[in-house]
Amino acid sequence: MDIHEKIGLELQQVDIGYATGGSMPVTLANQLSLAVRTGEIIGLIGRNGCGKSTLLRTLVRLQSPLKGKILVNGHDISSIPRLEFARAVGFVSTENVNIQHITVTELVSLGRFPYTNWIGSFSADDSAAVSKAIELAGIPHLRKKYLHELSDGERQKTMIARVLAQDTQVVVLDEPTAFLDLPNRYELLRLLNELAHENGKTILYSTHDLNIALDESDKLWLMASGKITEGAPEDLIITKGFHKLFENSDLDFDMDTAGFRLKRKFSEAFTVSGDAGLNIWTSRALERIGMRTVTGDKSRRHVTTGYQKGMPCWSLLMNDKTEEYNSIYDLVSSLKKHKKLT
Amino acid sequence: MNMPLKITLLLVLLWLFFVLFILDILIGPVTIPIKDILEIITTGESMNPAWKTIIVGFRLPKAITAVLAGMALSVSGLQMQTIFRNPLAGPYVLGISSGASLGVALVILGFPPLFAQGNINPLSIWVQIMAAWIGAAAVLLLIMAISFRVRDIMTILILGVLFGSATSAIVSILQYFSHQEQLKAFVVWSMGNLGNVTRGQLTVMSFTILAGLIMAVFSGKMLNVMLLGESYAKSMGLNIMLSRIIVFISTSILAGTVTAFCGPIGFIGIAVPHITRILFKSADHRLLIPAVIMTGGILLLLSDILSQLPGGERTLPVNSVTALIGIPVVIWVIFRNQKITSI
Repeated sequence: MDIHEKIGLELQQVDIGYATGGSMPVTLANQLSLAVRTGEIIGLIGRNGCGKSTLLRTLVRLQSPLKGKILVNGHDISSIPRLEFARAVGFVSTENVNIQHITVTELVSLGRFPYTNWIGSFSADDSAAVSKAIELAGIPHLRKKYLHELSDGERQKTMIARVLAQDTQVVVLDEPTAFLDLPNRYELLRLLNELAHENGKTILYSTHDLNIALDESDKLWLMASGKITEGAPEDLIITKGFHKLFENSDLDFDMDTAGFRLKRKFSEAFTVSGDAGLNIWTSRALERIGMRTVTGDKSRRHVTTGYQKGMPCWSLLMNDKTEEYNSIYDLVSSLKKHKKLT
Repeated sequence: MNMPLKITLLLVLLWLFFVLFILDILIGPVTIPIKDILEIITTGESMNPAWKTIIVGFRLPKAITAVLAGMALSVSGLQMQTIFRNPLAGPYVLGISSGASLGVALVILGFPPLFAQGNINPLSIWVQIMAAWIGAAAVLLLIMAISFRVRDIMTILILGVLFGSATSAIVSILQYFSHQEQLKAFVVWSMGNLGNVTRGQLTVMSFTILAGLIMAVFSGKMLNVMLLGESYAKSMGLNIMLSRIIVFISTSILAGTVTAFCGPIGFIGIAVPHITRILFKSADHRLLIPAVIMTGGILLLLSDILSQLPGGERTLPVNSVTALIGIPVVIWVIFRNQKITSI
């Protein structure tokens, strides 16, 4: 059987939530039936408090499902012995790990916990696994650095090296990109992608970063109102799955740019004509201050865009007067002033 | 720092330990030549029977008590700092010594016949030590239960201080209702004294502290993953419940035993783990535990030596000396990371 046909992680009618003191448990999502193939990377998306973390914590056995069965490589996780489970499923949490006097190598070595004896002495296999994990995470140059000397991006990679040293088939990460800047986020996701596609790991991560999840996941799990909709990112765009995600918010999903935008109330309308490239950005700026734009012929309120001597310029026709501007900022400032006066 | 350097450092500490041990025996109101001291220790005989009595009967047990107490309190402090992930945790600061004191106070003041002057029966030793263990474990459990709900480090410390004050208040009330003789026994005990430990007590103390230290050595690997926090430790296959129980029993035995026989000795437990971490630049408990054992023994020997500096019959309360050594370390820890989040 091809490795990619194997199911790495499976949920069978699982209810998740948490027990409260005495009374009924709070259910965050129910009847979840999902499957992840080995070598796939899955992005979990949902709003704050929808139960993303609870789901991930349930999958790594940090809490129990309220109902249903979870299978890892075909085995019910509730019946896998403790150490064996630790060798099958690894976890990177959102918790900020902060230890003084620990080097990157030492921290990554902690990942060998389920393999070593009572005193934690290392075999050749253990040392090899740690070296390989550090290589894979792309941090060989940090080996001897102390944890507190690292940047947030390096720290996160170290935590990923730690889970790689644990040598598990399934890796679950709770918001791995949370504290990172944009280049670091993409770098991290590229790393996770490589691990899934080239090293055959099954990776499940949660994120609030929609653009990255759309770009870098084989499949997305959209979590909203206690249900999960799954599919390739593009499938979810076509079937309008994303609209569900932010139903009761001020956001709208823009099918063209595959991103969310604030819903706006427009008070006035302008027509825009001229240079196509400039028109896009001009429209964006006008929409921000509540003015709807239409590309087309001159009306009573009109903006003409174009270049003069190589520099962009704008002319605004309003109240039968025409004014010239050299930047969008000046144009918008002037419009705001008009708006206040009327 | 590489491994050979760490081992060298460990050997230096071992050497320092023996030097201070001999020095501690050397110092006292009666001057005994070092040659005779070594002779008494190695052969057990001496030309001067009075010297033998002084060394074997007083100075040697006191030095051994200092070593045991220093080791026990320091390891207990290290375990607590890791398990609570709190750099300011320690048996004294968290009120665990106070809990042990309360246990001891209850039996000394509550069952006077057992502790009457000159009555040194084995039962009284065990009653006293068990009372201290139970008192220590009770406070430890209480702090642990609260630390699940309150994550803030400072809050837990303040609660520890409050527990300490509450137990002191209860002890004061007990004192109010007790006879003068018991009261005196208790006050002397509460000043922290390494010299009052009898032969029988020292035997019991040695065995129980050894047991506690062995448990600590076994917990090295567990403590290492606990540095990462509960979620990570669990996800790596650590049996959290079992590890907690081992560390709890170990730390209660260590802190409780010392408090039972020497009274509350503060700030050793909090300061020594920090001094050791700085010396060894390591967070690996398999190295830190033996290193903390050495450093703890050294620091309390040093405190005992300092307490005898006034000379003659007078000695300072060892409690005050350890506080003066330990508190600067605590202040330094607070200033080092204004935002205290890690050990």
